[in-house]
Amino acid sequence: MSRTVRKIGLFVFLLAWVAVAIYGYHEIHGSSSGLTTITIGYQTADPVDIARQRGDFAKKMKQKGYHVVFKKFQDGASEMQALKSGSIDYARIGDTPPVTALSSGTDLVYVASGSSKAKGSGILVKKGSGITSIKDLKGKRVAYTKSTSSHFLLLNALKKAGMSSSDIKWVNLDQSAASVAFNKGKVDAWVTWDPMTATAELDQNATLLETGENGVSSNRDYILATKSYAADHTDTSKLIINYLEDDMKWANNHHTKLITMLSKSLGLSKKVVKKMVERRTYAMGKMSTTAIKEEQEIADTFYAEGLIKKKVTIKNHVAD
Amino acid sequence: MENVSPVAAVTPKKKKMNWNRLLPWVLPVLIIGGWQLASSTGFLASKTFPSPVAVFQDGVALAQAGTLQRNIAISLYRATMGLLIGGSIGFALGVLNGVSKLSRNLTDTSIQMLRTIPHLSLIPLVILAIGIGEPAKISLVSIGVLFPVYINTLHGIRSVDPNLVEMGTSYGLSKWEIFTKIIFPGALPTILMGLRYALGVMWTTLIVAETIASDSGIGYMATNAEDFMDMETIILCIVIYALLGKLSDLIAKNLEILALGWRQAKEAQQ
Amino acid sequence: MTTTTAAQPLLTINDLGKQYGPKVVLRDVNLTIQQGEFVALVGMSGGGKSTLLRLIAGLEKMSTGTLTYPDVAPVIRVMFQDDRLLPWMTVRQNITFKRNDAALQARSQKMLARVGLEKWADQYPAQLSGGQKQRVALARALMAKPQLLLLDEPLGALDALTRRKMQDLILQVCQEEQLTTILVTHDVEEAARMADRTIVIKDGTNRYAEKGPDKDDPAAVGVVADQILHDIIDPEGGPA
Repeated sequence: MSRTVRKIGLFVFLLAWVAVAIYGYHEIHGSSSGLTTITIGYQTADPVDIARQRGDFAKKMKQKGYHVVFKKFQDGASEMQALKSGSIDYARIGDTPPVTALSSGTDLVYVASGSSKAKGSGILVKKGSGITSIKDLKGKRVAYTKSTSSHFLLLNALKKAGMSSSDIKWVNLDQSAASVAFNKGKVDAWVTWDPMTATAELDQNATLLETGENGVSSNRDYILATKSYAADHTDTSKLIINYLEDDMKWANNHHTKLITMLSKSLGLSKKVVKKMVERRTYAMGKMSTTAIKEEQEIADTFYAEGLIKKKVTIKNHVAD
Repeated sequence: MENVSPVAAVTPKKKKMNWNRLLPWVLPVLIIGGWQLASSTGFLASKTFPSPVAVFQDGVALAQAGTLQRNIAISLYRATMGLLIGGSIGFALGVLNGVSKLSRNLTDTSIQMLRTIPHLSLIPLVILAIGIGEPAKISLVSIGVLFPVYINTLHGIRSVDPNLVEMGTSYGLSKWEIFTKIIFPGALPTILMGLRYALGVMWTTLIVAETIASDSGIGYMATNAEDFMDMETIILCIVIYALLGKLSDLIAKNLEILALGWRQAKEAQQ
Repeated sequence: MTTTTAAQPLLTINDLGKQYGPKVVLRDVNLTIQQGEFVALVGMSGGGKSTLLRLIAGLEKMSTGTLTYPDVAPVIRVMFQDDRLLPWMTVRQNITFKRNDAALQARSQKMLARVGLEKWADQYPAQLSGGQKQRVALARALMAKPQLLLLDEPLGALDALTRRKMQDLILQVCQEEQLTTILVTHDVEEAARMADRTIVIKDGTNRYAEKGPDKDDPAAVGVVADQILHDIIDPEGGPA
């Protein structure tokens, strides 16, 4: 190859590289306006994701003078970290990460709570495994994810069945690893939540031994903010709760559209998503007393188990 | 001996290269071929390990939806920014410490200490300090890229033949000329080696950085796919990494060939 | 070679000394170099002759003594033992240092022609032989039209035939450019052949001076060389 050809080739290559990089820059920093920006953290297929995909939420917020930016997270821990550092203003999150964050001294407040997902969370066993009650789990290997709602659910289910936590073998796995382990029979049971539960029931020959119902674990959604942000933005919080509530009503009344939307974003079959959607309802409102009580229960259980080092009083961390 | 025409010494031999050019591609082609065969015969379960054709189709579908190009472009932007920022800082520090003994004594030990920290372990710190936006990802890539560039620049400059510098001084070259005409070209092979290494670090860091709180980029595509056990996309992302890595290496290699033409002159003669 | 009747001193060295820590390399060196003169410095290896050259070149600082130029300070160029060509520059770039100056380019052309390398102008040093590289180094040294040329054993690594050719080339060029030249060498034959005056450095100081041979008498070179050799190995030592 002659030097000139090589030179031209390299130049064209670098030019293309830069052009693509500039395109990438525009993709990230595309739109900005004179509106007040609020950033909301979410995880796939949660209430905020529904509002985001539907699009009405952002439009209505824009009319009120807000530019909404949605930030997606893979897990609750990094979302809590982002909230703490001020990278996001609000976080839609499950029931356990706030407890862990509060006990480590992060000054957060609960802004809103959602509806129970008790029917979609629970302990999965393989059909025909011979395990028919919680008592049968004695000495068995149970997959769970540490410090998540699955941890609490398992602890609480054992307690309600009159067993101690040392009666089973605890196998701490993240959810994708747990799915594989359960599928291959490396664990006898798997504590998880939807859509993993629905997937396992429909595709992995699994059945729910116990759900979160009857006060075992409601596994609600929560919206959190830092204490200082929430104190300064009570109006914003009210708007967010109101508009999210609208989207939740829509979700309850438009199952077909919702199932199509979620199956696309989750990359799961409609069959699985349908099962998940039909056994829950959607809601979003001011923090309820029931929710406060449930969170307190999680906090107390985690403290008793040594999962958190400091006692947490939930009612002191609720936005006005 | 002294009167040989110089042209004869550098006449390249052209025809023989063709086979050698193909050789590096034999293994990848064999692997993909074998993989496809194993998939179509059912030896590999399509659910856990999809066939190359399925991966390719997944890529086409993602490209049609626009997500593939978008994510690649975004990753490329982050990678480039990180490389530019980290690379410049590393180069500047390397030059400064290579040339100034005072600066070297002051900062080198600290930099060498920082270097031993696995830069990915800084993720929580970076999130707390500057959040999870673009600056966080770009900073992580910059930190990853900084050290190889720094070390190679410093080493390159320090190992330039002092006799050549002495010659330059006694032949009346200015300080700037000594740097641009003797020290920098002398250090360039080592610096480019550092750049080539940094390009590798750039991609690996970016992929990890993109798994934290991101909704775009190839790293995100991969972790997102992992959440739903979407094997096609996972493998597609791996293939894209491989291609991007190869591409960066190709650029670095060509840059080397162009910038270090004088070294080829020697090889051509031997 | 030069027949200027009243030789003018170019350089005067008085009581020069050099030590590295406690180690004395040179002491009480007193020398005068005349304009247009070709002087050779010989002596045992490690005897300080190269150090003396480096002090004159200004590459190192002397510990004691003075080095003065009675007239104006000359432009000095050194040809080193190794060619010290920049491998990343072509032959032409090596002698112009890539400076874009029309006068410089013209002179580089002339100098390359003078050392017989105009055909090699665009080659890299790695493509040249040892003798060719030293010819490039000579052309480079001549670029700035120096008054004083310092040669630090530049021919040491060459084979006998190339070496002889280079000696003649250097002598011719020095005459043409009217250079004052100081040559450091360990080869007494070379010193006798080239120099108007050979100075023997011994025990860290200049001990003997031998006048160069009559250029028309081929046998005289051998005689002078023998005398220089005798000076170097003379166990008695002699007057400074």
